[in-house]
Amino acid sequence: MQEEISNGPETWLDDHGDYLLQFAYVRLRNRAAAEDALQETFLAAMKAFERYDGKTPVRYWLRGILRHKVVDYIRKASREVAVDDTENTEILDSFRFKALGIHDQNPPDWKFDPQNAFERKEFMKVFYHCLSKLNDNMGQAFALRELEGLSTEEICKQLKLTPNNLWVILHRARKQLKSCLEVNWTEGDGVNEC
Amino acid sequence: MLTCKQVSKALAENRYYELSWRKRVALFTHIRLCKVCGKANQFIVDLQTGVQKYLKREEEEHFTEVTLTDEERQRIREKITSSK
Repeated sequence: MQEEISNGPETWLDDHGDYLLQFAYVRLRNRAAAEDALQETFLAAMKAFERYDGKTPVRYWLRGILRHKVVDYIRKASREVAVDDTENTEILDSFRFKALGIHDQNPPDWKFDPQNAFERKEFMKVFYHCLSKLNDNMGQAFALRELEGLSTEEICKQLKLTPNNLWVILHRARKQLKSCLEVNWTEGDGVNEC
Repeated sequence: MLTCKQVSKALAENRYYELSWRKRVALFTHIRLCKVCGKANQFIVDLQTGVQKYLKREEEEHFTEVTLTDEERQRIREKITSSK
């Protein structure tokens, strides 16, 4: 631990840059934004370095700062991106949703055994690829909910959504993720194309 | 008895652990008996399992799908140096 502290900011980029970029990229799905977040993280960390007590490994301390930068970025981006709400509105207005809270028929069965696939290293590459391909508002909501574990209230506040809208967006995100996984993964053969 | 809408909302928000035990029993009874809610629940659980496995791999750092390019590394380095 002492060694990590004495290494100081000049080694952070080489030691942790790739790890942090990957962390930011899957949540932001935008290379330039991930680079900006990384840059801001290093700058913020340099300012706060005097207060770093070494109890947490440097990598995780930096990741903690990056996490805040990512949420900030998503909040700002959600205000800049014009979202086409037509499909959400149609679902929210549909009889099935109003009466049952269900958006469509049963989700179709998986084309592969998910529990088996989740144990495979190659599958996690496909999972990463598909997470980073989610559309803007779906990706933002899914990252905040599933990767960062924010509550409905917090996400609605950050993205300025109603709970029902978030509900529909998350449902669509899960469907898109499932269909991407099915296109890119075949049981037995592994990765199709990425 | 919970309605499909209440069950769907609880599942979507993943907040069923906040329900009282009575409501939780009602929720899981509904999921067992209602084919539609049962499938919807399984779908959400499957994806959440995948996300947890992914986060575990991320935590264990087994995984470098994207890496900084030389140009990106250089830009960040310059920014860090200029701010000193």
